[in-house]
Formats: sequence, structure tokens, C-alpha cells
Amino acid sequence: MNGRELHFYLAGINNQNFLMRDRETGTWWQQITGKAIYGPLQGSALDLVLSDELTFGEWRTEFPRGEVLAPVPQYLKEYDSKWEPEVAKLPVVISFPGTELKPRDVVIGVDVNGVARAYPWETFVKQSPVMDRVNGTLLLLVLGPDGKSFRVFVSRVNGQDAEFFLQTNGANRMAASPVDENGKGNFDDKPNRDFSAKAWMLVDSLTASQWNFQGCAVSGPVHGKCLERLPALKDYWFDWRNYHSETTIYRRQ
Amino acid sequence: MTVSPSPTSEASAEIGGQAARPAKRPISLWTLIAFSLSAIAAIGFFFVPAFVIRPFRYQSPRALWLAMALRQHAPAGTSIAGLVCIVLACLLWRHASLWRKISISVVILVMALAAAMSRVNYFEWMFHPIAGAQFQAQSESKLDPTEMIMSVRFGDEARAYPISQMAYHHIFNDVVDGIPIAITY
Repeated sequence: MNGRELHFYLAGINNQNFLMRDRETGTWWQQITGKAIYGPLQGSALDLVLSDELTFGEWRTEFPRGEVLAPVPQYLKEYDSKWEPEVAKLPVVISFPGTELKPRDVVIGVDVNGVARAYPWETFVKQSPVMDRVNGTLLLLVLGPDGKSFRVFVSRVNGQDAEFFLQTNGANRMAASPVDENGKGNFDDKPNRDFSAKAWMLVDSLTASQWNFQGCAVSGPVHGKCLERLPALKDYWFDWRNYHSETTIYRRQ
Repeated sequence: MTVSPSPTSEASAEIGGQAARPAKRPISLWTLIAFSLSAIAAIGFFFVPAFVIRPFRYQSPRALWLAMALRQHAPAGTSIAGLVCIVLACLLWRHASLWRKISISVVILVMALAAAMSRVNYFEWMFHPIAGAQFQAQSESKLDPTEMIMSVRFGDEARAYPISQMAYHHIFNDVVDGIPIAITY
């Protein structure tokens, strides 16, 4: 922050989103927003780093020379790869009635220059790839070949909005048609999935180039170019909604 | 001859040939009030934030603000209020009954506990931080391919942070390609 390196530690919880403090100034920060909410740096905000939430299998194919954080031996019994079903049973302290989503429904949250939208995970999985316009920007949300990894891109090729098709085993499956600002559109949501890496490929409507899950063209006229990535957060609905009060919800028609 | 000792007199008198005990000075009300207030302040610096900032409890913006403010100043606050409280306890002690001495002792103990706890981060007792982190080449990792990870890439450096680990530790400070980052979950 302002050229000064900060080191953070767990300091508490605020409506089930944790609080952290930095050792250098003692300022309190909200984890989900990265904003300083009390202390000498109050009002500051950390830069959000572009990151992925992927399966280890998907990640290692993309980054064969990557490094993995090793488990700490004394805490092995604390690590639970199946923690999500247990957490899903825990109570929530805030809720937002009036929507079809339950507090612990998982969503993908996207914020495009201050305009937020939540994509219910189950809907996204059924319809991927999903194309949606948020704050004037056409987005492409894709589920990876493993059925669990996901990424969000700006759906623009050579400066033009582009539609994308999912190509599996030589057969094309059209992505959800471009939709309006309210997330409504017509599309075929019949599952047609082959999640083998070799079969999975996106094709764009402008150049007919083939694109991989990293959003990079691997063949065609724009070979070598990559789509712009957008940060996205996989979160519980109540938490996303609590910090994005104006968020809309992506809905299938 | 008997002498009834005056309740305010410090002079000893003889009663049946034995020296009468000097009358106890009544505890000053203001001293007692000051002692109580300083004890409440010292104890409150720790216990109010601890009560407000709890899992599975709703935190209102105002309550959270108060909790953070108290927690921020708890080390100094418990020291100052605690010192005042101890001085007042000494003043009260000499003229206190047995039960009052026990009460004073309990208050001082609780206050000492608050002072100690205001200097430790008990959240890290529940969720230990990662100290001396090690990294493995992806080929050496024993992670199942279906396990979820968070990943970042800067330049030629790509790192993965297993969610099963981050869901416990919650925060990890790292430097990737010279860029300091905090991984949170």
C-alpha cells in the first residue's frame, strides 16, 4: 500500500466474512472487498490480483512448471478436502429474502466497473458457456473441461463483440446467445459435455478460431491472441449480496 | 469500667482489661466507584470486542466499529485502566472485610486475564498461520487431480494454493515474481 509491503493476519469475523489486520499499521481490512475499514489506512483498498479457482489436474496441465504450497505436517488433520458439504450445513446470520436464491447457494460473482452480477453455479454449469452483457461489456463465462474449473473473459475479438461455441468431439454446441442487460435470452440448455481436454475447444463466431480454456486462440486467424480475463469470485449468495447490494442475478429465460 | 469505642475514633480503649480493636475506616464511596469503573474499563477493552466479533453472530456496523476501536486500543487501555484499578485496590484493601478482599482479588484476576488476552490473537489459536511455508513442484505434489486450488501467475512464476489448506489457514502472505500478495479464503 503506497509502496509499503503489508503482511496480514486473521483478526476476526464480520457476518461470516473474515477480518484481517496488517502487522505494519494494525489497520483492519475486510477480506471479500480488500478494503480497510478501520485504522490508520482506513479507506484504502488493496489491488485484487487476477486468480483462478481450478482443479489441480487442470492447473498442472496449464502450468507444468508451477509450484504448489506444501501442506504443513502439524496441521494435516485440519485439512479437509470435503469441507464444503459440512460448511453448507452451518447457519447464516444474514439473509436476503425476496430472491430465488438461498443464502448458501453458490454463485459466481462478477463486478464490471461497479456493476455486479451473480451467476448461480448450478445454472452456470448447465448452460456453460454463458454469454452475458454487464455494464455494456459482453462477458464469456466458461466451465472448464473438468467440469469444476471456471473462468470469465471479455468476449471481444479484435475489438468486436464475439459469440463463442463450445466444440466437443467435432460437434459444435452454441454458447448461450448474447443476452440483454437483465440477463435474459434464448438458448438451448441441453447438456452436451465431453470434458476431455483434447475434445474441449471454443470457437468464435467472427474468425472461427479455436480457443482453449485459458482463453487463448490455438488455431485460426487470431492464433496466439488471448481474451481479456476478468476477476470472478465463487462465493455464497448471502456473502456476495451483503457486499454488493445492487447486484443483479443472472436468470435463464 | 467499660468504654464503648467511638465508631470514628482511632484510639484504642480497654474493655474488660483487653485492648479493643481499632474501628475500621469506612471505605470511601468514591474510591469504590473509581475502582469499579476502572475495572469495568480494563475488562471491557477485551471482553466487548470478544463478545461482538464471534462466528455465527450478527455484527451491526456500529457494534463492529466499537469492537474494532476497543480492540485497537486494548493493550494501552488495559494497561492504564489496570494500573489505576490496582492502585485503588490497594487503597481499598487495608480496610476491606474478608469478602470484599476476595471480591477485589477476583476482579484483579479477571482484569489481568483481559490485559493478557488483549495482547494475543486467539483467532490464530483456532486457525494457525502458515509459518515457514514450503513449495513443491507440481510433479511432487500428492494432491488428487480433482482437488480445488487457487492459483496466480506473475511472469513465469505460477503458484497453486490448495483450498483444503487455505480453508483452514485462511490467510497466507506470499511473494510471487517479486510481487507481495495475500492469499485469502
